[in-house]
Amino acid sequence: MYLPDFDYYAPDSLAETCEALERFGAKAKVLSGGTDIIIKMKSGLLSPEVLISLKKLEDLKKIDYVSKKGVVIGALSTHNDLVNSKILNDRYLSVSEAAHNMASNQIRNIGTVGGNLCNAVPSADLPPILIALGATIKLVGTKGERVMLLEDLFTGPMKTVIAENEILTEIVIPDQSSTGSNYIKFGLRRSGALAVVGIAVAVTVNGGTITEAKIAIGAAAPTPIRAREAEKFLQGKTISDDLLAEAGVIASGESKPISDIRGSAEYRRDLIRVLTRRALYKAINEGHV
Amino acid sequence: MSKDYAVIGKNVPKIDGREKATGAAKYAGDLKFPNMLFGKILTSPHAHAKILSIDTSEAEKLPGVKAVITHKDVPALKYGISPARWDENIFCIDKVRFVGDKVAAVACIDEETCYKALKLIKVEYEVLPAVLDALHAMDEGAPQVHDEYPRNINTEIHQNFGDLDKAMAEAHYIRKDYFVGQRTYQSPIEPHSAVSIWKDNKLTIYSSTQSPHYFQYYIAREFGLKMGDVRIIKPFVGGGFGGKLEPTGLEFAGSVLAKLTGRPVRTFYDRHEMFAHNRGRHKVYMELTTGVDKEGKILGVHANFVSDGGAYTSLGVATSYYAGGLLTLTYEFENYKFDMIRVYTNLPACGAQRGHGAPQPKYAFESHLDNIAKDLGIDPLEIRLRNARQPNTVTINDFGINSCELTACLEKAADISGWREKKGNLPKGRGIGIATGSFVSGAGYPIYRNDLPQSAAMIKVHEDGTAATLYTGAVDIGQGSDTALCQMAAEAMGYRYENMKIIAADTETTPHDFGAYSSRQTLMSGSACKQAGEEIKKQILDIASTIMSLPPDDLDCRLGIIFSKSRPTAKTITFEEAARRFFVLRGPLLGRGVYHVPRLGGTFKGAAVATSPAYSFCAQISEVQIDEETGEVDVCEVWDVHDCGQVINPMQLHGQVHGALYMGVGEAIWEEVLFDDQGKIQNPNLGGYMLPTALDMPIVHSELVESYEPAGPWGVKEVGEGATNPTMGCFNNAIYDAMGVRIDSLPLTYEKVWRAMKEKREGKKEV
Ligand SMILES: Cc1cc2nc3c(=O)[nH]c(=O)nc-3n(C[C@H](O)[C@H](O)[C@H](O)COP(=O)(O)OP(=O)(O)OC[C@H]3O[C@@H](n4cnc5c(N)ncnc54)[C@H](O)[C@@H]3O)c2cc1C
Repeated sequence: MYLPDFDYYAPDSLAETCEALERFGAKAKVLSGGTDIIIKMKSGLLSPEVLISLKKLEDLKKIDYVSKKGVVIGALSTHNDLVNSKILNDRYLSVSEAAHNMASNQIRNIGTVGGNLCNAVPSADLPPILIALGATIKLVGTKGERVMLLEDLFTGPMKTVIAENEILTEIVIPDQSSTGSNYIKFGLRRSGALAVVGIAVAVTVNGGTITEAKIAIGAAAPTPIRAREAEKFLQGKTISDDLLAEAGVIASGESKPISDIRGSAEYRRDLIRVLTRRALYKAINEGHV
Repeated sequence: MSKDYAVIGKNVPKIDGREKATGAAKYAGDLKFPNMLFGKILTSPHAHAKILSIDTSEAEKLPGVKAVITHKDVPALKYGISPARWDENIFCIDKVRFVGDKVAAVACIDEETCYKALKLIKVEYEVLPAVLDALHAMDEGAPQVHDEYPRNINTEIHQNFGDLDKAMAEAHYIRKDYFVGQRTYQSPIEPHSAVSIWKDNKLTIYSSTQSPHYFQYYIAREFGLKMGDVRIIKPFVGGGFGGKLEPTGLEFAGSVLAKLTGRPVRTFYDRHEMFAHNRGRHKVYMELTTGVDKEGKILGVHANFVSDGGAYTSLGVATSYYAGGLLTLTYEFENYKFDMIRVYTNLPACGAQRGHGAPQPKYAFESHLDNIAKDLGIDPLEIRLRNARQPNTVTINDFGINSCELTACLEKAADISGWREKKGNLPKGRGIGIATGSFVSGAGYPIYRNDLPQSAAMIKVHEDGTAATLYTGAVDIGQGSDTALCQMAAEAMGYRYENMKIIAADTETTPHDFGAYSSRQTLMSGSACKQAGEEIKKQILDIASTIMSLPPDDLDCRLGIIFSKSRPTAKTITFEEAARRFFVLRGPLLGRGVYHVPRLGGTFKGAAVATSPAYSFCAQISEVQIDEETGEVDVCEVWDVHDCGQVINPMQLHGQVHGALYMGVGEAIWEEVLFDDQGKIQNPNLGGYMLPTALDMPIVHSELVESYEPAGPWGVKEVGEGATNPTMGCFNNAIYDAMGVRIDSLPLTYEKVWRAMKEKREGKKEV
């Protein structure tokens, strides 16, 4: 395991960062916490000639509440920033909890939200819960910025719509009409395990009826997916055990998982069935946890 | 431990605790020498391939590269730790046999240059078909891993004791079961490292080793050196668990690089390279057939095993004998047949891992025994009590058992776990299981044939008596032998532990000992240290008698105070005073000790393996909670009750039980080295290879029963490996109790449990 040679830049501003990316093009890669990219470089999967570090972009390391907009999470916030943020703890404990159940404390101290999203592995833990909460992202490049739904970021395993000269700067969780949300990660041990499947749900409950439901699933397909059929099925229905179980069956049917060393496709599909039901139950009964 | 002892039987601060806790302790990989070079080994990317050519010219040209070596630069003599099967070369000559096989090495001014140089070595291969499935290794026409071993058979064992056919004919009930184990890796925290220095015909190696002796012997043999010209020094070691018992490419290649460059060379494995070097647990395919009478008393057993040895022998011959040999320990039966074939495959070589050879067969047998108990309607605890080994018995394969409190272990485990209240009364999804284990307290015979004593020790008392240094070849690899042996030496001397110093595991300064394996040191090295201490005491009392004008027989020494046994009011003197006087009048005060094992075992082929002066016994009960929908296994609580004879240091003893259990729990539920269809490891790192974390550990209760082993110093015997033995079977039985499904392969993963429950629901599988 050996880190190949590369040139290193740590620009002072967002504009310089994007310019540098533009200048080096395909030769360059963004470095955030480095917990994904450095490992790939060491094992020979990636060999960028240039790494452009975001570490001086202090503005991107924040978690604020901006009224009318929502909770704004800078891309450089670490997982432990999410774990410890009072704003998130108060509003969306489900996000803090998802971050808390990731990796190990060492990784949570340096891995960033931006890196977790841009890395775009199907098993990543933060995309499902952020997608379920309807999060948007901002991409900034040399030619300006664009805002889109997080769920539109991913195009395949380790593939996104981000252009070579762009970086992700912030994630916004908009003010919710949803009444409850949570993320269930199924890993093979209690710490330091990647998700075999990860299920996030956000529901809006009115009286005994689900008026809206969002279900986002990780490690179920080449990208994080929404279980839209299951969501549609739930809309306007009266809550019952059978209803939630049926939603699980539908979500499972919508998934297209693969078999790998962590689990077979068959196992994953069944886990999705069970855990979707459990996640819905929890969101309905316990709120945003 | 009796209250009569002043030093043993007590928790004392670990002799190396402060150094380790503060980070001051230096491990082999921390050592730095002036002019030191860094060495790295180039390994094979193919599971099986002919080497057509190796071109090192580009690598040699790279600035900073001081030497590049291949098979042409090293002895062609084959080596290995099992003398019956020397089958490894320092570097492959004509072909490579697994992904990770050694092909070349470089020595460079820094680590980075090593990796660059390795990339510049061009090896042309002709890829050959590989044997990756042990069950097909013996097939007609299967690729041959070694030409010398037809049908890839590395070890073949056929043992037959008593009259199995007759026993089976008389049996009330016969059951056959089939189980499969898995490849696991020891995963010591400290990666293997070595610093080799070859100067003026003398080779010195600082290595993370479990046995300086075997390293010295095999390295001297390989290079045609006298053993006296090879010095092996063990710095602090961060765990071995069987994986650091034999010299590796690090020492062999490192030595040659050091010789060629005339400079010290540090070689080391990273985590991936550790997995590739392996020497971890064999995957064993196990068929068991047992005949019992109406009461569940075992009449006869047939164990029929195949194991996947990987590309080389390592310790695999012994592992194979252990696999069946140790099965006769915990339950008494008089008819036994053991067939075993260890095959070569194009995968990393397997060796000895904590519990050497025993845990997987134990998993199979304990699961099998529970199946029999269920078929006969007998409680699992009860069937074990009915068959439990008793003290002063001899196993059918000629192992002499002295102390044995297995029955007491079972009873106590049942009591403290609440077995009788819980069994059958737990809510669905919760289950309780039981299993037993036993292990040698030191292998009765060394790994290569020789008549050396097992252990020797020396104590030198400082000239003014204020300190005493224990010189021992025993090897502390984290288990705490330095501490326990100093306690034993101090007790025997009548001295204080706090004044003990230790110099250990350096072939030049310390007396011979075979090292840390087969749970041998407390009994064997301890015997030698006790004797050395007693020799000191005898001399100190002798000189004291002249000072005190009392007969030496009337004197004793305890915690450094010499006193009259018959006259409690007589004036005492201190050990220091007497020791100083001794030095002035008679010269250095030295004590020597040596321990030989008496001749053990039968005369049949393989009779020597698994003999031991004493055997530990233990019973384990564990409780699990199963998620009925996902198969997730929560290992809630474990009760381990050990018969390990008398205890030198209770805290260290329980530490060993916790550690052994940790490994057993990991192997039970999580750990497995996985390969792709090209023989490449898919999870060669601690992210992919699922060791349990602290959060995954069950609550552990480690308890003892009163026992005294006549063959051990002060009645001691084994603890460090025995507790790994029952664990996998114990969890399998608990899972069965919880869900009524029997998982017939290790590890008992969530998915396997899920699948078994699903099949049971769908009526596919009869259990
Ligand atoms: C031991 C271990 C355990 C782990 N466990 C988990 C786990 O349980 N769950 C999980 O989801 N992940 C896990 N990971 C993966 C990883 O830690 C996370 O994905 C982390 O969030 C990555 O963030 P980073 O800042 O380290 O990313 P980096 O490695 O710095 O970057 C990752 C990728 O994203 C790009 N990138 C980073 N930031 C930006 C940006 N702002 N704009 C554009 N591109 C960007 C980089 O160019 C790179 O391609 C684990 C990793 C390790 C080593």
